[in-house]
Amino acid sequence: MQTNQVPIPEPPQAITTKDLMYLKDAMSWELLAFKKLHFLAEHATNQDVKQALDQAGQMHQKHYQKLLSHLQVNNNTVLSSLQNAQQQQQQMH
Amino acid sequence: MQNQQMPQNQQRQQGQQMQQSQNSNQIANPQAGQLPKVKGPEMNDRDFLNDALSTCKYITDSLNIAVREASHQQLHADLLQMLNETHQSSREFFQLMFQNGWYKLEAEDQQKVNQAHQQFSNYSSQFPYPLQ
Repeated sequence: MQTNQVPIPEPPQAITTKDLMYLKDAMSWELLAFKKLHFLAEHATNQDVKQALDQAGQMHQKHYQKLLSHLQVNNNTVLSSLQNAQQQQQQMH
Repeated sequence: MQNQQMPQNQQRQQGQQMQQSQNSNQIANPQAGQLPKVKGPEMNDRDFLNDALSTCKYITDSLNIAVREASHQQLHADLLQMLNETHQSSREFFQLMFQNGWYKLEAEDQQKVNQAHQQFSNYSSQFPYPLQ
């Protein structure tokens, strides 16, 4: 354990264990939601209802893609650059 | 009125109006005449919207926790935006249901509203900050 650690100003762009748990959960809900909304839109009779269901379905698919993009990180790179920054700052001190 | 041109709907509308005169505090649109009068076991448009709404409600609850637990700033911001957009979407479903007469609201008796306003106005004696 480093005793003279430089403070980390804010949480780095790493995906934590907890983040991954919630991201996987959220993507599962979103996937089910937009599949369901698409199905409902296909079976609705009223045009306004159809359109509302389809719009919501598209939104949830967009959300899914956004969540998925958060998994395109390299935790190793984030961690090693964090360590580098730490070492540089320590040398300056 | 929206569906005057639908004579097959008149009976339903009259029924609705009678209900409204019984309870003058009710706020609702007449039901659009697109659902079968005697409903069978099959899902109809109203069921679809209700299902969509409860899915959205579940997702907002879950996203709220995810926002609260997010680690870095960008993840927090993206989840928060999703939460907001999902709330907006739920609201649109609600509005559509209300327009179709599938959602009834009830206004509280004015006296009770006044009472509550009086009660909570009196609590201003407990305010630690000067009144704006």
